[in-house]
Amino acid sequence: MKEAVSRTQKRYASWALTAAILIGLGFILTGYKPVGKGLVLGTLFSIINFILIAQSLPLGLGKSKRKTFLFSLVSIFLRYALMAIPLVIAVKYDQFNLIAVICGLFAIQLVILADHLFKFIRPGSPGTG
Amino acid sequence: MTVDTQTIVSVAAYAGGGLAMGLGAIGAAIGEGYTAARANLAVSRSPENSGEIFKNMLVGQAVAESASIFALVIAILLLFLDVPQPTLLKAAALFAAGISMGLGAIGSGVGSGYPGGEACFGISRQPAAASQLTTNMLIGSAVCQTPAIFSMVVALILMFLNLGNSAVNPTWAAYLGAGISMGLAAIGSGYGGGLAAGASCAGIARQPKTAANVTTTMLVGQAVSQTPSIFGLLISFILMFKTFPATGSISAAMALLAAGICMGFGGIGPGIGNGMAAEGAVRWVARNVESAGDLMRIMLVGQAVSQSTAIYAMVVSLVLIFVL
Repeated sequence: MKEAVSRTQKRYASWALTAAILIGLGFILTGYKPVGKGLVLGTLFSIINFILIAQSLPLGLGKSKRKTFLFSLVSIFLRYALMAIPLVIAVKYDQFNLIAVICGLFAIQLVILADHLFKFIRPGSPGTG
Repeated sequence: MTVDTQTIVSVAAYAGGGLAMGLGAIGAAIGEGYTAARANLAVSRSPENSGEIFKNMLVGQAVAESASIFALVIAILLLFLDVPQPTLLKAAALFAAGISMGLGAIGSGVGSGYPGGEACFGISRQPAAASQLTTNMLIGSAVCQTPAIFSMVVALILMFLNLGNSAVNPTWAAYLGAGISMGLAAIGSGYGGGLAAGASCAGIARQPKTAANVTTTMLVGQAVSQTPSIFGLLISFILMFKTFPATGSISAAMALLAAGICMGFGGIGPGIGNGMAAEGAVRWVARNVESAGDLMRIMLVGQAVSQSTAIYAMVVSLVLIFVL
């Protein structure tokens, strides 16, 4: 079970990071530095959030009901606080474009949807398995 | 104690931010909880497929969380954004932005949990169809997010709208009405879309060969379920972009506020009702694919009738805006 979750997590995280770096680099090289930096920043936090979801899923198992509840609650608060960091940075510092940071925060979701949409359009293609 | 305009704007922005995140967290938490509950059932039924079920749950929850991330984005913007020219009108607009986003995320959050849950359970019944189920779940969940995206668009417009020389009275009520109209109308559509998507995952698990028909019926059903939120969006746009003449009377302001409330509440029931009609059609298409055409027609007729109450609400809202 852990391997399946870990495989999925690694695949989507690496795709999202690669896409963000390539697109971000494109923006930086064409003179839109804050957009590129914002996109990479948002994507990094989106990946961290996804990794934390994946890591916390198996950790919640095998504990008492009360411990699992507390663990899940702390994990949710931690993840939301983490997601707020790039937004606050973008609001406070002009080096990061706010819209790009917001787009970056949805990088994992966009990669997941793109992967499955591709599989939906071309059923024979390799995908998540 | 004297209160300056800057303080009022800050208070409105903080209250709006609190509402955006507080209300916005409700739906996603319920939806993700539902997905996890069904995943529990699925693992207990079929422990040998726990890896596939957990993987589906992880992906499903990541997408279902989108509505609350929209809310988080708006909340942080409201809390930290500098307002260079604070006015009372700006205060109303910022508070309305929080209401729009907070309420608008509830339905999408709950709704997108249903396909996640049913896909997890479906994998325990049909492990061979796991990939089909995950794809269908993601399409259904993504469509469920549409009303929350509409709400975020309205919230962003309210936050960054150039107020120009708009009259404080009755425009403050128009902005509040815009936020309420969009936020409330999005609840039903988001939830209704989730019902259809959940039924389609259950249907594919029952009969994987019908996946194409089931997904098509789901998408048509979900599209019609989104209509009340589009009505809400339309009324919000009119309230935000129409210029209202200055007046000292409170009745003009109340008419605009009532227009937003009317459309907002009026959109909840039809959104859920349309989703129920779509859920029924999708479920039975999976069981009796030969009757898919008839089922689709019955669904659309049922949705059209259910939709009529949202149209009445929109007509009354338009009368309140343009006639009174």
